[in-house]
Amino acid sequence: MSSLESALREPANRVSSRAVPFWRLSAALGGLVVWVGAGLAFFLWPDRPWWGTLGLLAVALIPLGYVTVMPSLRFRIHRWEVTETAVFTRSGWLSREQRIAPLSRVQTVDSHQGALMRLFGLSTITVTTASAAGPIRIDCLDHQVALGVVAEVTRITGAAEGDAT
Amino acid sequence: MTDEEGWQRLDPRKLLLDPVKTAGQFLLPAVVAVLGVSSSGSAWPLWAVPLLVIAPIAFGVLPWVTTRYRITDTAFQQRSGLLNTKQLSAPLDRIRSVDLEASLLHRVLGLAKVQIGTGVDDTRITLDALAVPQAEELQHYLLARRTTAAAEPASESDERSPGPPPRADEAQVLARIDWSWLRFAPFSLSRLAVVAGAIGVLSQFGDELPFLDQEHLSSAWGWLSAIAIPLIVLTALVVGLVGWTVISVAGYVLQWWGLMLVRDHGLVRLTAGLVTTRSTSVEEARIRGVERTEPVLLRLVGGGELATLATGVGVGGVTKVLPPCPVQVTTDVGHTLLKEDSPLSVPLLPHGPLARRRCHVRAQWPTLGLTGLAVVPTVALDLGWWVPVLVLVALGALGVLTAEMAWRHLGHALTDLHLVAGSGALERTRTVLERDGVIGWVLRQGFFQRRLGLATLVATTAAGAERVVIRDLALGPAVALADAAVPGLLTPFLARQPNGPPPTGERPSGTSVAQG
Repeated sequence: MSSLESALREPANRVSSRAVPFWRLSAALGGLVVWVGAGLAFFLWPDRPWWGTLGLLAVALIPLGYVTVMPSLRFRIHRWEVTETAVFTRSGWLSREQRIAPLSRVQTVDSHQGALMRLFGLSTITVTTASAAGPIRIDCLDHQVALGVVAEVTRITGAAEGDAT
Repeated sequence: MTDEEGWQRLDPRKLLLDPVKTAGQFLLPAVVAVLGVSSSGSAWPLWAVPLLVIAPIAFGVLPWVTTRYRITDTAFQQRSGLLNTKQLSAPLDRIRSVDLEASLLHRVLGLAKVQIGTGVDDTRITLDALAVPQAEELQHYLLARRTTAAAEPASESDERSPGPPPRADEAQVLARIDWSWLRFAPFSLSRLAVVAGAIGVLSQFGDELPFLDQEHLSSAWGWLSAIAIPLIVLTALVVGLVGWTVISVAGYVLQWWGLMLVRDHGLVRLTAGLVTTRSTSVEEARIRGVERTEPVLLRLVGGGELATLATGVGVGGVTKVLPPCPVQVTTDVGHTLLKEDSPLSVPLLPHGPLARRRCHVRAQWPTLGLTGLAVVPTVALDLGWWVPVLVLVALGALGVLTAEMAWRHLGHALTDLHLVAGSGALERTRTVLERDGVIGWVLRQGFFQRRLGLATLVATTAAGAERVVIRDLALGPAVALADAAVPGLLTPFLARQPNGPPPTGERPSGTSVAQG
């Protein structure tokens, strides 16, 4: 093992704080499907053995844990930064992913807003490079901030030359 | 041939090529139709016969009439279509590759199909077909124009290549087929799928054999089980082996006959093929790396394969340039292509005991799952406790073996110009990517990796499979490797160590900078 201790610092900015209720709501909407299914099974299967009840309870509890734990954890992990030379993001909640792409190699910058995201005034930015493995997503930015970032990245990449491969 | 606007048609011999090809497609249905109709005693085949002759000719003539192409000062243009005219236009400086291909029929008629790759998207412009000299002239012209039109990228590629560049007018042969390589053919299983498919088709006919019915089979069974089963198995094995050898060698000869890998005018050109000849040209500056694979059987006999990783040659971007051949040949040719003498021979830095643990744990997940699955029928059908135990032991042993191999193949290195990654379990793969071709980094830590302080480093690139994955590397060295491979990119994002070495400047000794 190497004794070398290089590490990446955190990206500078948090995502919008409205991302937490947004993640919670969308997780709850997903959980609703599970709960409805579990509830139906609970009533349509009255003569279930004890382990059936236990199983249903477990199934119903998993989304509950997800809804309560995931959004705040994710809010702590998700960070982003755009400098004059690069985009740097960190995402994930159980696993972590850090992505870096030099702005000189960026090909497109899109912002995207789903129906639910519009309700919270959030936008997601996707920065793509010439590699299919390399798109960088910044989830759940404040819509105005997102527009500013898109303009900024477009301005910097517009100045770069070459075909970015 | 050429009108006042410079539009040219395809070769008139296409008028022969297409009808023959279409007739081939028409022939079977036509014969079936005619036979079927005539046996039912109707009179219409008499006027249907000329239709069957005219239809293929008409279908064959149409593309020739409607397709035209021209070269303007800045672009290559192709116009096609009868009612909906389609015009494709490729700027000359965007042309990345010009490939020639000739099937047997093409070759009889002296024609070749030209495919032009633009690298902008996945569509390739196809000219089917031109006379061979004309096609070669076009290939030469387009690729020569590309270098003059794109003077800037050319100078950039010169910067990247150290040492004296080869003189523009002399072609350098990088590899040529050596028939002693045929000994590797049976050890390459890539053609096995084709054979398996053929056997599947043949087995359909087995039902038709007169002696394969229930009665014969059951009377034969007693005799078989007494003496002949070992004999049958042995015969099947021998037949299978001999058949496989013949098929694999024949396939090797068909695909790689006359293999020539040439570097010429800043292009790397591969020509090969016995019946269908292919000629693939890729701009040298577009080749961002190579990948050597040594499948398990091939490795037993010291063989390997080599592919180039290039940008802008359509999806994949991985072009096989050497057939199964001695590893030393792949190393030499690879180094010539890379213009550096170490990436394929430098020892890889292993990833340590934690990575080994990770490999083993990862390999045992399927064992656990499948053993769990095996418990279900054991309980349901009352099979006996040894069934899941057998599954556990067998899969567990297999898992240990593959995990150990995967760990041994795992590794990385950094040379002056290239990033080198070792991977693969059964198949040993070494991926070499030009450091300048890295267009981003992904540092990923799964839940279990995080507990061990490991990370998976992915270099994203536009070439080849568009990613080079270095798995299960300790987090510190992973960041250091990424920082050393592309100096400057990570610098603003490195954490300041209070008492450690400064993140930039001289490389700490722990980094794996191999000197070429």
